[in-house]
Amino acid sequence: MRRSFLIENPSVMWFLAGLGLFTVVVTLMSEVTGVGLISTSFVKTLGKTLCLCLIAIAMDVVWGYCGILSLGHFAFFGIGGYAIGMWLMYARTEIVVLESLSGQAIPPTSQEISDAIGNQIFGVVGSSEFPLIWAFADSLFLQLVMVILIPGLLALVFGWLAFRSRVTGVYLSILTQAMTLALSLYLFQNDSGLRGNNGLSGLQNIPGYEGVSQATISIIFFIASAIALGAGYVFFAWVVSGKMGSVIKGIRDNEARVRFLGYHVESYKLFIFTITAVVSGIAGALYYPQAGIINPGEIAPIASIYLAVWVAIGGRGRLYGAVIGAAFVSLVSSWFTGGGAPNVDLGFYTIQWTDWWLIVLGLSFVAVTLFFPKGIGGLFDYLVRKPS
Amino acid sequence: MLRIFLLALAMCLMTPAMVTAQSLQSLLQTHAEEVLKPGRRTVGVVLDDLVDSGLPQALPFLEAWRDRAIVQRTSDGLFFRAEETGDEVALFDLDSGEAVATVPEDDVTESRPNGGVRRAIGDALVQFQLSDPDIERRRAAVEAIARSMDASQLAPLQASIEGEPDTDLQQIKTRLAGMLGAQFSETTEDRIAAIEALSGDLSVDVRAVLNRILSTDTGVASAVPEDANIAAILIPGVDLTEAEAYDQLVAAELAPPLITAAYIRAELEANIEGAFVGGQPVAKLNTDANREIAYDALADAGIVPPRVTPTQQSEALDAHVFFVSYAEPDTAITDAARSALDAIETRVGFSQAADLGLDALSLASIYFLAAIGLAITFGVMGVINMAHGEFIMMGAYTGFVVQQFVPDYTLSILIALPLAFAITFGAGVAMERLVIRHLYHRPLETLLATFGISIALQQLAKNIFGTQARPLTSPEWLDGAWVLNDVIAISYIRIAIFVLALIFLALILFVLKRTRLGLEVRAVTQNPGMAASMGINPDRINMLTFGFGSGIAGIAGVAIGLYAKVTSEMGADYIVQSFMTVVVGGVGNVWGTLAGASLIGFLQKGIEWLNPSNTLAAQTYMILFIILFIQFRPKGIVALKGRAAAD
Repeated sequence: MRRSFLIENPSVMWFLAGLGLFTVVVTLMSEVTGVGLISTSFVKTLGKTLCLCLIAIAMDVVWGYCGILSLGHFAFFGIGGYAIGMWLMYARTEIVVLESLSGQAIPPTSQEISDAIGNQIFGVVGSSEFPLIWAFADSLFLQLVMVILIPGLLALVFGWLAFRSRVTGVYLSILTQAMTLALSLYLFQNDSGLRGNNGLSGLQNIPGYEGVSQATISIIFFIASAIALGAGYVFFAWVVSGKMGSVIKGIRDNEARVRFLGYHVESYKLFIFTITAVVSGIAGALYYPQAGIINPGEIAPIASIYLAVWVAIGGRGRLYGAVIGAAFVSLVSSWFTGGGAPNVDLGFYTIQWTDWWLIVLGLSFVAVTLFFPKGIGGLFDYLVRKPS
Repeated sequence: MLRIFLLALAMCLMTPAMVTAQSLQSLLQTHAEEVLKPGRRTVGVVLDDLVDSGLPQALPFLEAWRDRAIVQRTSDGLFFRAEETGDEVALFDLDSGEAVATVPEDDVTESRPNGGVRRAIGDALVQFQLSDPDIERRRAAVEAIARSMDASQLAPLQASIEGEPDTDLQQIKTRLAGMLGAQFSETTEDRIAAIEALSGDLSVDVRAVLNRILSTDTGVASAVPEDANIAAILIPGVDLTEAEAYDQLVAAELAPPLITAAYIRAELEANIEGAFVGGQPVAKLNTDANREIAYDALADAGIVPPRVTPTQQSEALDAHVFFVSYAEPDTAITDAARSALDAIETRVGFSQAADLGLDALSLASIYFLAAIGLAITFGVMGVINMAHGEFIMMGAYTGFVVQQFVPDYTLSILIALPLAFAITFGAGVAMERLVIRHLYHRPLETLLATFGISIALQQLAKNIFGTQARPLTSPEWLDGAWVLNDVIAISYIRIAIFVLALIFLALILFVLKRTRLGLEVRAVTQNPGMAASMGINPDRINMLTFGFGSGIAGIAGVAIGLYAKVTSEMGADYIVQSFMTVVVGGVGNVWGTLAGASLIGFLQKGIEWLNPSNTLAAQTYMILFIILFIQFRPKGIVALKGRAAAD
């Protein structure tokens, strides 16, 4: 079954081969092996980009294959990041606190340790109590379960409510946008229990590995992200192929007709919506330890719209298109906004790309939707078909 | 000293006829020592006599005294008002005000009242000023009394009410006298009468006066004290926590302080002997239970005070009674003040509800203004325009730019409104022709394309106008607020926005229902093919409709800019809210947008009222409510029925 699936989908093999090669090359050229052609910060950027590619695939499945334009998938990404960030921050603070308390004459009680950690983490929002949602923060395993469980449950409840009352199309987009807006507004409050607009920080320090250099940690996360992307790619390629894939694409093209054929459309949509939310949460859990900080601004509605734009530019309805779109747009964006692009001197006015990049990006969305509805991925059609 | 006292006593007992006969100078001579070296306590006698004398020249004397311009001539001990001229001083007679002599500085001794004395003089001056012929001075005096609220001011204030020629000021004086009377009248009956007279007044200062009368202290004793005016008896565990109650006992020194965990820890640290404390190994002291065992061992040895056990705590609580008592000893007065305050607060509650309603109405009109353009482009045409917020922003910046060229604010607003319409109409038409026209059959992609335009426009505005907020100043006649009573007030800008929203509603209904254009718009919306075969050009109609919706967004931008700040991100703040307004109200219907804006506006204010400190939470709950609402009415409040609903 599995072998035939891979043979039927040669693009999956090509993608895995390309991803593997890329991973090996980056690892060999990083500072870990001593070559140092790729700096640690760039390895982190590449690792983060791989995570963005993973959520872009999820977005492509839910939008490009199932026709649900969700403008809220970054909420799941953020929840995944917060879930892992809680453990990272708790465990790291615990180590620091234990160290500072060990110098005292009397060994600390567990209550004193927990108070001191609470003070460290929540002092910035004027509190020292652990909110209820931090109940499992001391256990890596339970927080990893949260990474999967909370986005999944949220998507399940939200999707069930929305699909049950047959909210479709543009309405669903606005509804999902409202969901992510509500979540980010909630997290912006100081009493949300997640440090308000300060967010969680210091996530790049992995507890228990203080002696390991950031160069090694960044490469480990890079490889983990690549593995997650590869696994996610194979999984979604499997989901959208075969009979189930046909039903899903049928829903995208004509929902009513699929329903009249006897399929329970809502269940399929709910399954796709939930499973992509879970993958988004995993992508977020890999992304934020590399970014080092997460705050509610990350899950503002605009992030999810950008996600849709990456998929549109890369090419909807093909998984490698989503990967290309996310990688291309996010890398080019960071090149332009990071001051990598040279300024253009027109004589009377100097175009500074940090100011003008967003205008170029915005207009290129328009151009892509108007003139290249298949996106960058559409170019591959020419490669494949021309010889025949 | 005694002589002076007797004299002062004699002065007080003299008849008015006698008093008027004397001169200011002779009166001052009886208090020569106090006038020259006034102290906080001694000055009272002098001031009382001056006030009682009723001499008109006492007022300029007091002012001069306060300003440190009173001197005593060393040669004969007479007092004069002095004006310094170089090394010499010119002396003026206090009774006649005429210049008497000019003497060298060394021949006179200055009276130098300190700060406290000058304040007392100021209080006495107020009493003179209350009857001053100059209304501004009287008004200043009344304001001074309202600030200080002192018992001594009651009598002169009451005395001045009758002779007050200005009716407005008389009312203010009466009200102030009422507030003072409620606190400081001599008899209980007078005070109760004054308190009852206050109960119709909603103002903050009246409520403050009543609250001051009702100020309470918490107390604890073994039995309820007989003489205290008890407001309430508190039961530990019900009205206050047992920990709080015990803290009160400790503060009143009726119980030994609790031994806290931190105290135990400190004492244990101080008593470490080798690796042991109180017989316990130090390494085992990482639980509270072990620490308590070690501490108890120390306590048994008499090194530290023993812990207070829970039984002792509850016994101590049972043995005492906790109560809240009024500072005012008279029960009749506190009862009257309580019922007056209750009556006032009930009315304040109603007024606040009305005020909240007005607030919600104005918020609803802002949402309506922001969303009404969208109701046309999204609701009628079905086009998702993510750049709608940027049209609002363009309108607001148009207003800002016009104000740079036209300094007259009224005129500039009048120019800005049509100009904003024209500019955003043009932008809307251009966008429809260049982009949206090609995407009518792909609504989700319209969303992406217009989002691209949105971020490009936003960045463009940032490049041109910078990131800081730009002011859009409203004309003077829109400043200020319409004050109904002390609680209900609504600013004129909000009224103007409300009126503007009404005008827009009427205008749009008129255009859609009563004009040829509106007929054609509705025809194209319902069935473009059929409309085209009837001779309507759907392209032209779509273009005009989109331009019209965008133009209205521009005008809304000017209105919103008057009330909020103009930034490049202001459009983004309204876009999600606007979409929700349209969706909640029901797509394709102007009345639906009105209903949606009202629902969202009132709901948001209502949630904010429940939790006023937290507008973020209010927005969060609002959005959650909207998500749930759409579950139950997916088509919005005003759902289209029949063929028009087919989509």
